Amino acid sequence: MATMTYLQAISDAMREEMRADERVFVMGEDIGVFGGAFKVTDGFIDEFGAERVMDTPLAESAIVGTAIGAAVEGLRPIAEMQFSDFVSCGFDQLVNVAGKMFYRQGLSVNITVRLPSGGGFSGGPFHSQNPEAWFMHAPGLKVVAPSTAEDAKGLLIKAIRDPNPVIFMEHKHLYRRVKGEVPEGSYETEFKARVARAGSDLVVIAYGAMVHTALEATADLDGASVEVLDLRSLVPMDTEAILASVRKCSKVVIVDEANQMCAAGAQVAALIAEHAWEDLDGPVVRVATPDVPIPFSPTLEQAVLPQVDDVREAVRELLDF
Amino acid sequence: MPQMGVSVAEGTVVEWKKRVGDWVEADEVIAAISTDKIDTDVEAPAAGRLHEILVHVGETVDVGTVMALLATDAKPGEAHSSEGTSAAAVAPKAHSSDGDASSGGTSEAAAALDAPGEAGELQGDTTAEHAGSTQEGAGLRAGGKRYSPVVMRMAAEHDVDLTRIEGTGRGGRVRKQDVLAFLETGNGADAPMHIESPYKPDAPPTPKKRMQRFGAPASDVAPMQGATAPLSRMRQSIGRAMVESLQTAATCTTIVEADMSRVDAARKTLGVTYLPMIARATIDTLREFTALNATLADNTLTTYDGVHLGIAVSLGTGGLIVPVIHDAQELSVEGLAQRIKDLGARARENALTPDEVRGGSFTITNPGGYGSIIATPVINQPQVAILDTEAIVKRPVVITDAQGNDSIAIRKMTYLCMSWDHRALDGALAAQFLRALADRLETWPVG
Repeated sequence: MATMTYLQAISDAMREEMRADERVFVMGEDIGVFGGAFKVTDGFIDEFGAERVMDTPLAESAIVGTAIGAAVEGLRPIAEMQFSDFVSCGFDQLVNVAGKMFYRQGLSVNITVRLPSGGGFSGGPFHSQNPEAWFMHAPGLKVVAPSTAEDAKGLLIKAIRDPNPVIFMEHKHLYRRVKGEVPEGSYETEFKARVARAGSDLVVIAYGAMVHTALEATADLDGASVEVLDLRSLVPMDTEAILASVRKCSKVVIVDEANQMCAAGAQVAALIAEHAWEDLDGPVVRVATPDVPIPFSPTLEQAVLPQVDDVREAVRELLDF
Repeated sequence: MPQMGVSVAEGTVVEWKKRVGDWVEADEVIAAISTDKIDTDVEAPAAGRLHEILVHVGETVDVGTVMALLATDAKPGEAHSSEGTSAAAVAPKAHSSDGDASSGGTSEAAAALDAPGEAGELQGDTTAEHAGSTQEGAGLRAGGKRYSPVVMRMAAEHDVDLTRIEGTGRGGRVRKQDVLAFLETGNGADAPMHIESPYKPDAPPTPKKRMQRFGAPASDVAPMQGATAPLSRMRQSIGRAMVESLQTAATCTTIVEADMSRVDAARKTLGVTYLPMIARATIDTLREFTALNATLADNTLTTYDGVHLGIAVSLGTGGLIVPVIHDAQELSVEGLAQRIKDLGARARENALTPDEVRGGSFTITNPGGYGSIIATPVINQPQVAILDTEAIVKRPVVITDAQGNDSIAIRKMTYLCMSWDHRALDGALAAQFLRALADRLETWPVG
């Protein structure tokens, strides 16, 4: 075990897989000589050479399209979007080509697209988004979103090996803030949810950075026993784990950093309404970013993104219900 | 019940100006309500026939509660019919006569009409659904309350009448934990009489199976496995003696409260525990009331001048034993303390001689150290009474001074509980004895 940041764990996962499997390579904007905008691939070009650490033009459609072609030819590309916000330029390649290739032609598209996402650092409307729901809505794509360093490595290795296109949501705000013990060598983390803290009075369901917000918000609530469920994988969604927590706790708060409308949490809420109705002891409560662009102003950004106090207040309200 | 300003949470119906079956125009006043801020009129949100009044005169309900149902598809002049109408909930527009809360209140009420939720949901009610809510819908709206799905399911599974559960949620709402607590405390068995009946009702009927579509079927619970062990000889002998006592004596218990403040003060100077002091006071009182310092056997009551005082000593889980201090009347408080300590130590070492556990004329048992405040001890046969001393705790008590003025003070109080044999004496004597004992303790010389 070594202590690593979330960012180091992501680098480590790619390095392990590139060392073990020569079909694995990385491509993206400024990832080679510069080592990536966030230095995730720092030093990669020296170890693996420019052929496996490819700098690309500023053209997301081309990046994703090239990756798809390489995957169909048998390689295992990892494409980095410099910011998840820019993935919209590669949307057609991802949603229409990658997502439907197996359905139309029976061809596996073994690509991993890394999306540095999320706000909280005054990145403004083009550098702070959480676009996971766009891809959850498109059949044929898997979407995962780790919250810890250990999961970041295990989920990324699992994603690289998965024969389907996987959207890997890595939260920028966690890059250097979250540290943890990470096992050495290669290991896969299943695309399943994880109970971040067990409890019995209420469950907060979250993923990515919001897991940490939820844990902090519910650490000390006058003795209330609050469970925190970290989804880890959005597609496939771990229905069993969600329903098990709801059956146990009967009260649910769902937290999304994404804009509220049709966010991952909306799907969780729908699932609960459909399958756990008879176990509910109160309304399903959602805390999410309102449907507005993420502002530059730190004050406004804080007002928009779910904060620890927002989650705590929602949990208190529902506990009292 | 319309929202009349931000801080008003409930309102009371003062008068219904319309009766069920009456035709009402939109904005016509249909009821008068009173809140803790203002009295005001409630206007109909739409034209229609008053279908049902849900909140009657004098009832106080939370803001947002549906007060009445209005059949909006009825026509003026038509005969009132309970069939074929669809009812609209009256979430009435508020018209405040108080300038303070007026415009805000009105717009909020109007907004509430448009908002989805309770009112919107009921507006879509068909006759069939409405009939359901008055008949088998007792579940959803039993006692005029609404319950969450999990509470309804648990109530159905355990056959619980939800109206018997006191809710701890917002506005007295019955929550899951309330049902769990209710089930834990005996599944709503009838409240016990003043003594606990040995009768236990039959096991509750097999719970109804819940919907199979989504839930795993409930497994049949196997009987619990426990550890078995034969009773020790001591336990068997205690058991025999206790059952025999209860079958022999007409056991009654009398309880008197005593203020231990002076005993407490004196105790500190003497450097002893409460027990030898209570023992000393008991011995002195017994010599006044010799009928309690007695044995009863074969229809013969024998009273004694000397006090052979038994002190029950707990041996932990092993049981208990009652060593006897012979001629305890000859010992001072300090002497009693010494003997109690000595006998207790030797009892726990199993080193008492047979004579030391024989011949008692009265017994004191002292479980109060564990915090219990009242008990009904079993008489140590053939004696006629046993005194139980309980925890000494601070309680607020009313003190009357020499001028007859009352005040509340914090005093160290205890309950003196004595079980006595009604064959040998009557309640008046037991009470007199305890009162005399309490007086002795309360007037203990200090200093």
